[in-house]
Amino acid sequence: MVRYVIRRLISIIPTILGVTIVVFMFLRLIPGDPAVAMLGEHATEENVARIREQFGLNRPVFLDREALKQGDLKGFFNTQYLLYLGRLLRGDLGNSIHRRIPVAETLAQRFPATMELAFFSMFIAIIIGVPVGIISAARRNSVLDSTTMVGSLVGVSMPIFWLGIMLIMLFAVTLQWLPAGGRLDSGIELKTITNFHLIDSLITLNFAAFVNALQHIILPTIALATIPMAVIARMTRSSMLDVMQEDYVRTAHAKGVAERSVLYKHALKNAFLPIITIIGLQFGLLLAGAVLTETIFSWPGIGKWVYDSILSRDYPIVQGGTLLIAFIFVLINLLVDISYGYLDPRIHYD
Amino acid sequence: MKGKSLFILLAAITILSMVLAACGGGAATTEAPPVEQPTEEAAPPVEEPAPTEEPAPTEAPPPTEAPQASVFIFGRGGDSVSLDPAIVTDGESFRVTGQILESLYTFAPGTTNPIPNLAEECMPNESATEWTCTLRQGVKFHDGTDFNADAVIFNFERWRFTDNPYHFPEQVFEYYEAMFGGFDDASIITSVEKLDEYTVKFTLSAPLAPFLANLAMDIFAISSPAAIEKYGADYGTPAAGAVGTGPFVFKEWVEGDHISVTANEEWWGGRAKVDEIIWRVIADESARYLALKAGDIDGLEQATVEDLADAENNPDLYILRKDQPTTAYLAFNYKIQEFQDPKVREAIAHAINKQGIMENFFGENADLATTLIPSSMWGYNDTIEDWTYDPELSKQLLTEAGFPDGLSEVTIAEDIVDADNNVLFKAGDKIPLRLYYLPISRFYFPTPKEVGEAMAADLANAGINVEMTTEGDWATYLAARREGRLAGLYQLGWGGDNGDPDNFTGYFFGGGAEPIQREGWYQNPTLAELLNQALVTPGQENRDPMYKEAEQILHDDIARIWLFHTRVPLIFSAKVQGYQPQMVDADNYQDVTVTP
Repeated sequence: MVRYVIRRLISIIPTILGVTIVVFMFLRLIPGDPAVAMLGEHATEENVARIREQFGLNRPVFLDREALKQGDLKGFFNTQYLLYLGRLLRGDLGNSIHRRIPVAETLAQRFPATMELAFFSMFIAIIIGVPVGIISAARRNSVLDSTTMVGSLVGVSMPIFWLGIMLIMLFAVTLQWLPAGGRLDSGIELKTITNFHLIDSLITLNFAAFVNALQHIILPTIALATIPMAVIARMTRSSMLDVMQEDYVRTAHAKGVAERSVLYKHALKNAFLPIITIIGLQFGLLLAGAVLTETIFSWPGIGKWVYDSILSRDYPIVQGGTLLIAFIFVLINLLVDISYGYLDPRIHYD
Repeated sequence: MKGKSLFILLAAITILSMVLAACGGGAATTEAPPVEQPTEEAAPPVEEPAPTEEPAPTEAPPPTEAPQASVFIFGRGGDSVSLDPAIVTDGESFRVTGQILESLYTFAPGTTNPIPNLAEECMPNESATEWTCTLRQGVKFHDGTDFNADAVIFNFERWRFTDNPYHFPEQVFEYYEAMFGGFDDASIITSVEKLDEYTVKFTLSAPLAPFLANLAMDIFAISSPAAIEKYGADYGTPAAGAVGTGPFVFKEWVEGDHISVTANEEWWGGRAKVDEIIWRVIADESARYLALKAGDIDGLEQATVEDLADAENNPDLYILRKDQPTTAYLAFNYKIQEFQDPKVREAIAHAINKQGIMENFFGENADLATTLIPSSMWGYNDTIEDWTYDPELSKQLLTEAGFPDGLSEVTIAEDIVDADNNVLFKAGDKIPLRLYYLPISRFYFPTPKEVGEAMAADLANAGINVEMTTEGDWATYLAARREGRLAGLYQLGWGGDNGDPDNFTGYFFGGGAEPIQREGWYQNPTLAELLNQALVTPGQENRDPMYKEAEQILHDDIARIWLFHTRVPLIFSAKVQGYQPQMVDADNYQDVTVTP
């Protein structure tokens, strides 16, 4: 098991390297560059050329064949990508081209915001989605089953954008129960340690900040959790129904095992493999969906930040942000794979 | 079992927090007290509170309760790039720096007239190549250091000299170069000398007519030299903020979320009425408007047409319109053979129903444009008669130009290449006539695609069939425009920087006699010469007719189709009074009051 985990962890390295190459290449394939995006309507030839030079954007992207032809081996490797990789290995994600501040610094502030929202949403999606799926499966074809499944169909099909606006209109504007956006009210002081507001407020025993942070996270969580919740509920239901056709479940029923016990002890554990898989995949989609949620609820996470940076061609931010998202995604999938072993004793890791 | 208790716990927390919120905690829940209904166009002037010697006992607050700070929260679409105004070009940065820092001159409220600010006056010599500025005395930066001649010189030298230790190589002092001709020896300002503690002398290599207007720009605001020395290249970043002499002091910047400033108790112009300003980033226009309605914010800029209509009917809100000098236009790419014929250009000018488009898409948020320079600026030529909307005349002109069956296809006159010299359109190629619309909403084109579609419909009525297209995203579009490869008609616009007409016509059509790549290869040596002359001619009264003449040349040449001068709508809660929109530079906040 330990060897498997180590092997998987090592395999993250080429994956991440692949991500850097793909992101680097695609970013530079999009026409327009940071200089033009930065200067806007004002761009003059000289300014654009100067900015390109300052940020090394005039260097070849991967390898400098011209330099090699001239026998300049150092120049051959003196390219945008390799310089970036060199800095990356030293733990330097570079500086934002537009804001000129270290990408790592902003990531440290924004990434927890996205993760806080993503984890909270996933948590809600699971604790509601899974029970709903189980109940639907247990009472197949009942009114409850039909209602929840129609409900989940609506959930899957609901555009986050529309849902977000509706939630704000109802809970923030009409009922005035919850704030329309942001992470914390301006008057609330909170000492940041992890940058996860809910955690920081608990650590510092700042109850006012905790309640305020909770109020702020509710609406974006509902918006973000709806789709994965619906997918998980539907997946749980169909997976449970499959398992409940199995002989051992029938045997359990025949032996007179209590319905509850059959459901939770016998069926659920086996039904969980595909559910866990879908949860892992949904987490990736959740991070992608965070762009919209963060935009509507003015949530200062990395989704909107990376998206805006693509538009302004702020390469270091896009590279740093996607790298981190890819890393988290790979890590979550590793956790999913490991959990298979616990759920199904037939799976062995060598 | 464990899962069940966890679920109950979470549900309990959620419900509890909702209940707590509903019970009156949090800023979002404050209900607007009944307030006087403001007029739609302008907030009623705020009266200074009458000084009462002995407040009535009933009105006195309980002695134990500290007076609540008044906070003005403004919602905006994007974050500032930097709070060092010298190295940025975006309005969201100036919106904040304009409150923290001050320039030697400023613009009189609601106009483009430069008036003294940190300088008490600047007087030119006879040839207007030397300007002697007397500085305001007794002014201190927020860090306690003195504002004086040394501070002015420090800033100007930092901007100008590329080898200045504080002219950091990774920073782009773009506006200095644009407004003062270049860096180092290319700079029109050849020296800034200290005559005494509070007097500086600027020496120019040639007269620069918009000199005072340039000094008044937010970009050339004076930062504390001590702060720049202390923070180095970090000056202006969220960690350091900015240190100036303005009415508000930098408090904090949570990147992507908000920036806050507090009233400068020592401001030479008198303490601001509001205690704190917070600019909150709410990127989505609808969400921003809902945040205003929910009471999360007190004011905002830029809203959708639907939300503006809603706000007009909402007694708790009112609208101000920022009359900034802007012009939206439709440009020709002159590498298209047909566009080289003035009759074709005129046919297109007569085919577009500008009035109809304005009524449908802009309402009160725009005026029709007949020239590049907006009517609110000096240099505007009010004698020019716009091209009438007349599709029949368009058809006739097209027939005269040799296109009796209308125009759907055009010919490339010269190769159009990209930055790497790859030929995108070859000379002689026939391509569909294209109309490029902006890929994003800009303040001068809030709904570019919809306006483009309306134009296309108008053009089709006159037998001109265009293919609607755009070019990638904003950066891509700008790059294509800069390289002169938007092969057809294309939308773009301009927002003025300093209220000087050179910043409009001069920027676009000044320069040399060659075709201007960035301007769709437009070429007019006579116009360029006139504009270059206007830039160095002293005296507004002498320059004014020159810009009027330039506009007449552009009109007679049908160089472009000028469409609209747009206004930026601002919506406020009725609790807010005293907000003063500026034509150029940041709006003024020092008279803002927020009724609790």
